Amino acid sequence: MKPAVIAVLFCCLPPLAAIAAPWSFDAPLAVTTPPPQTTVFHHLDSSGRRNIAAADGTVAIAWEDDGDGTPRIYLAHKAYEEARFATALQVSGANEAFEPSILALGGKRFAVAWEEDGQVWARLVQIGDAPVPGPLLKISPASGAQASLANDGDGILVVWSEREGRFGRIRALRLGTDGLNLTPGKGCPVDTVPPIDEQLYPSGAVLQGRLVVAWEDRRPRHTIIMAAIETKPASCRFSAPVRISAKPPGRNLPYGAGHGVSRVALDRVGNERLFAAWADKRDFRHGYDIWGSYYQIGEAGFEQNEIVQDDFGGLSKQHHAAVAGHDTGTLLVAWDDEREGNVDVMLSWYEAGGWSDDWPLPGASGPGLQSNPSVTLDSDGNLHAAWVERDDVDGPTRLKYGFGRINRE
Amino acid sequence: MNCRRYAYLIAALLVLPALVLADPPEAYPFVSFDEAMAQSKRDGKLLFVYFGRYGCGYCEKTNREAFVNPEVKERYTSHYVLAYVDAESGRRLRLPSGERVPERELGTRYDALVTPVFTFMTPEGKPVLRLVGVQRIEDLINADDRIQAALAKVRQP
Repeated sequence: MKPAVIAVLFCCLPPLAAIAAPWSFDAPLAVTTPPPQTTVFHHLDSSGRRNIAAADGTVAIAWEDDGDGTPRIYLAHKAYEEARFATALQVSGANEAFEPSILALGGKRFAVAWEEDGQVWARLVQIGDAPVPGPLLKISPASGAQASLANDGDGILVVWSEREGRFGRIRALRLGTDGLNLTPGKGCPVDTVPPIDEQLYPSGAVLQGRLVVAWEDRRPRHTIIMAAIETKPASCRFSAPVRISAKPPGRNLPYGAGHGVSRVALDRVGNERLFAAWADKRDFRHGYDIWGSYYQIGEAGFEQNEIVQDDFGGLSKQHHAAVAGHDTGTLLVAWDDEREGNVDVMLSWYEAGGWSDDWPLPGASGPGLQSNPSVTLDSDGNLHAAWVERDDVDGPTRLKYGFGRINRE
Repeated sequence: MNCRRYAYLIAALLVLPALVLADPPEAYPFVSFDEAMAQSKRDGKLLFVYFGRYGCGYCEKTNREAFVNPEVKERYTSHYVLAYVDAESGRRLRLPSGERVPERELGTRYDALVTPVFTFMTPEGKPVLRLVGVQRIEDLINADDRIQAALAKVRQP
């Protein structure tokens, strides 16, 4: 066959993976455009990787950047079909702020929680002609960080790591809303036993009114993923924590305490299940891989661990796992992946009882570095993704957004 | 000494080995990465960055079998500014570029997802030599010899 014919075929035939993907992506958009000649570092680093939320035709992204010289929290929004984001709104106050988590409440209201000056804060934002922020509410009693938000029917749940003496301890707090005001409800530590080592980076999801929280826990002298489940809806009383990340069989090294894991993300899948994903170094020779586990309502613990990425990811490094689930049972995980020699955002979705082949997110792969994805599915099943893009590892960043339209059969 | 004091002593002894599992080797002046960067620029010394992980077995092995050596200790404490990075930590620091990131992100930037990794860096944070995995006494001494020889060449008029 002549090379010209092969070239034509190559250009005209979409890749096989793209044919099978449930979404068709528009060209990616810039979320915010820094002034020319400025060096800005954007971060999408919320605990649980919840930096994007979508409902009622509006998508909003919350991030941290140091565009004015101080790390602050910003929110930008747009209607699904609009071609550009509105001017960003500063959400945080006067001090250094980090790791915002965002949640869509419906009625074009969004909740944002973040760390500022060593404490956790939250506020609502109403999207109108211009976004209007509500009053600030301090969440952490003393010193807290790593906040993550979850939907709780008409209310909000925030989980975070509160400093108690030497260690962080995971706490949960229900919040009500009254217009643009947040009202604190019932709160508690998730583990009733005071920590004997760090509890960090929680992520929560609500199943039939019960909050399920997963977090990094260092009690066995290395980092594992643990979870606790509310014993009754809205009770703020939890089961004894259970370990999710399994110990690999057959390895008892004379040194060290165990393998490493990092940054769990949770989301609900349908009405009875949720999925937790995290970075896991049980294959210690090649850095972290993406592993996960389902939880089914009524069960005391999570199901057996399963590897999310496909076999081609085994020799490269993966991290920053983000999860998006849907009422219909759709589930996807996105992460950073270096299998192509540079950092790309990869996706895998659950289909026919297993994980799909890994698929580079359109617009978030190729030259340069594309990393730190955050993903969500709207009520129609459209995929909204945000990620950070940079030309080199130390260079300034750009914040990008991709819209994946659900393919209708 | 009453029973309660004995109980405290036993508890303290039980906890002690666990505390050293993930830490840099004892009696070495390891500091955070950004502190070390500042000190390195001030003192004109290279950085020696230890990327470890809480509970890391090969870090502990290197601590117990190589860093305990007096010659290694003398060389590394006198020749370098020592930085320790917990590659799973959320503690924030500032990179040479000015970017604020958690220690975990520093590990990803310097390709330290397998631990331990030991990286010799210029005061500006540019890596000049990497040692990956368990190191023996002779590995650390050999690496120091190579770095010092290279520095001597650079300093020759």
